[in-house]
Amino acid sequence: MVMLHIFHNGFTVQKYDMRLHSGAFHMAITFPNIPATEDAAPVKVAATKRQYPGALVVVEGIDGSGKSTQLYLLKRWLEIGGYRIHFTEWNSSPLVKSATRRGKQRRLLTPITFSLLHAADFADRCERQILPLLHGGYLVLADRYIYTAFARDAARGCAPRWLRNLYSFAPVPDITFYFRAPLDVAVNRIVAGRPKLKYYEAGMDLGISLDRAVSFRIFQERILSNYDQMIETDNFILMDGTVRVNKLQKLMRQIVGERIDLGQFAPKKK
Amino acid sequence: MTRPDKTNGSSTTPNGGPAMQAKKKVRLEVPSRFYGTPLPGVRLEELSGTLFVLEGTDGSGRSTQISLLTEWLESEGFAVQTMGLRRSFLVGQDIDALMAENSVTRTTLSLMYSTDFFDQLERRILPALRSGLIVLADRYIFTLIARSAVRGIGRDYLHGIYEMALRPDLTFWLNVRPEIAFDREFKKAQTISYWESGRDMSLSNDLFQSFIRYQSLIKREFEYLSKRHGFIELDGEGSVSEVNRVLRKRIASHLGIRSTHYQPSHALSHLWR
Repeated sequence: MVMLHIFHNGFTVQKYDMRLHSGAFHMAITFPNIPATEDAAPVKVAATKRQYPGALVVVEGIDGSGKSTQLYLLKRWLEIGGYRIHFTEWNSSPLVKSATRRGKQRRLLTPITFSLLHAADFADRCERQILPLLHGGYLVLADRYIYTAFARDAARGCAPRWLRNLYSFAPVPDITFYFRAPLDVAVNRIVAGRPKLKYYEAGMDLGISLDRAVSFRIFQERILSNYDQMIETDNFILMDGTVRVNKLQKLMRQIVGERIDLGQFAPKKK
Repeated sequence: MTRPDKTNGSSTTPNGGPAMQAKKKVRLEVPSRFYGTPLPGVRLEELSGTLFVLEGTDGSGRSTQISLLTEWLESEGFAVQTMGLRRSFLVGQDIDALMAENSVTRTTLSLMYSTDFFDQLERRILPALRSGLIVLADRYIFTLIARSAVRGIGRDYLHGIYEMALRPDLTFWLNVRPEIAFDREFKKAQTISYWESGRDMSLSNDLFQSFIRYQSLIKREFEYLSKRHGFIELDGEGSVSEVNRVLRKRIASHLGIRSTHYQPSHALSHLWR
C-alpha cells in the first residue's frame, strides 16, 4: 500500500527505495494482522469536488512521531518563500478553552463528552478559520486534524461510525501525511521531554493502569493501531518518523510540490 | 457541508417487510432504549427509573408543568430528578457566554449543546435512572435537533450525534401557535430574546416577524419529529390545570398510579391558572 501511494504521487520508486522498503518491512513485522473492529466495514471517503480555491495539508501521527517538527519546517519553507499560508493546530480555539480546562482539571470528561467538546472546538476552528481561508484561496497547514479524533476517541471507546458522522462537516484534506515511528521511539521521545504525563493525555480515564507511563504506552499503542487502519481508507501518505529530520523534510516538500499547485499561493509578481 | 452518512437510524426493518407499505409516511422508530449505538458503559437492565420529556417552545408552559408534576409525583412518593438545557456543570456556563457573543457559529453552538446534553445524560440522568428515580426533562434532544436543523445542519447528521441518547419513556409536546408563544413570552420578559426570535438567521428586521417565522420553522421540525418519534401532542394553549390533568393521566397510567387527584400546594398555587 505504501508503494501505491508513492506511484500515485508520481515518484519514482528507485529514488525512495530504502525508505519504502524499511517502511513496508516495518509494517509487516509489527502489524501482521490488524484486528477487525465491529465497524470494520470500509469507510467510503467522499471524493467530492472541492468547492474552494485553497488547499489543505495536514499532518497526523501519535505524540512523538515527529509530525509537528516536520510541519513547522514545511511552514518555514513556505513562509520564507512568501506563500499565502495559514497554520492551525488542534485544540487551540479560545471559545471552548475554559470548558476543556474545567473538564480536564476536575476529570469530568467521559469518552463522549471528551469527544464532543473537541468536536465543538474543531467546528469553531473549521467554520471561522479553515473554511474561510480555503474559500479565500489560502494553503492551510493543520497540525492534527479529524483523524486525531478518529484514532484517539475510538481508543477511548467511541464508535468509529459515530465519530465519522460527528466530523462529517470537515473538508477532506488534499494531503494527509501520516508520521509513523515505532511505539518505543515515540513514547521515549515524549516521556523523556516531560516531567509528568497529564491525566487524559496518558489515557488514565480508561483505567488501564494506575501507572501513568504504562497507561500512556498502552493508550498510544491503541491509537497507533487505529491510525494504521486509516492508511488506506483515508489515503494517508506514510512518512517514516525515524528518518533523519532534513531528509524527511526534503521528501515532504517534494510531495507537497508534486500534489499541490504551489504557484497559485505564490507571492504576486510586480 | 458534506452530507453525513446515510446509515443512521435506518436499520429498523431487518426483513424489509412491514415498513415498506408505509413508505410515504414518516417512519415511526421501533422502540429500544437507545436510538442507535448505545452509550458506552451503560447496562440497560440497571436502569429501573423512568424518563419523561416535556418539549415545546418558550412560552409553551413546560417549566410550569414540570414544577407541578414534580410536586405531584413527590406527593405520590416518587423521587424526581430534572434536567434542562445549559444546566450541565461541564459547559452550561460556557454556552451562556458563547451566546452572549456574536461570534459563535452554528456547528460549534450545536456541538456545545450536545456536550451539555451528554454531560447531563451521563452524570445526572443515568445515575438517577439507575437509582429508580423519575426524570423529568425540560426539553430534550428534539429541541436541539430542531434548532440546528432550521439552521441548515443535516437532520441525519444530528440524529447521528444523538443516536446515543436514551429514548424517553414518554415524550409530551406542548404545542402552541407562535403568536400565542409570543404573547406569553412578551408578558413574561417584556422583550423577546435574540435566540428565541432566531435573529442570527436574518429572517426579518422586525422582531415580531422574525419571532413568528423562526418559531414556525421550529414548529415544522417538531411536526416531523413528532411523527418520527411518537410524541404525545398536547394543546399547550389550554389552561395550566387542564394540561396538567392530561399529563398526570398519561404519567399515572405509565407508572401504575391509581389516583390522579392533585391540588397544588400554597407554594405553587400561583401557577394554577
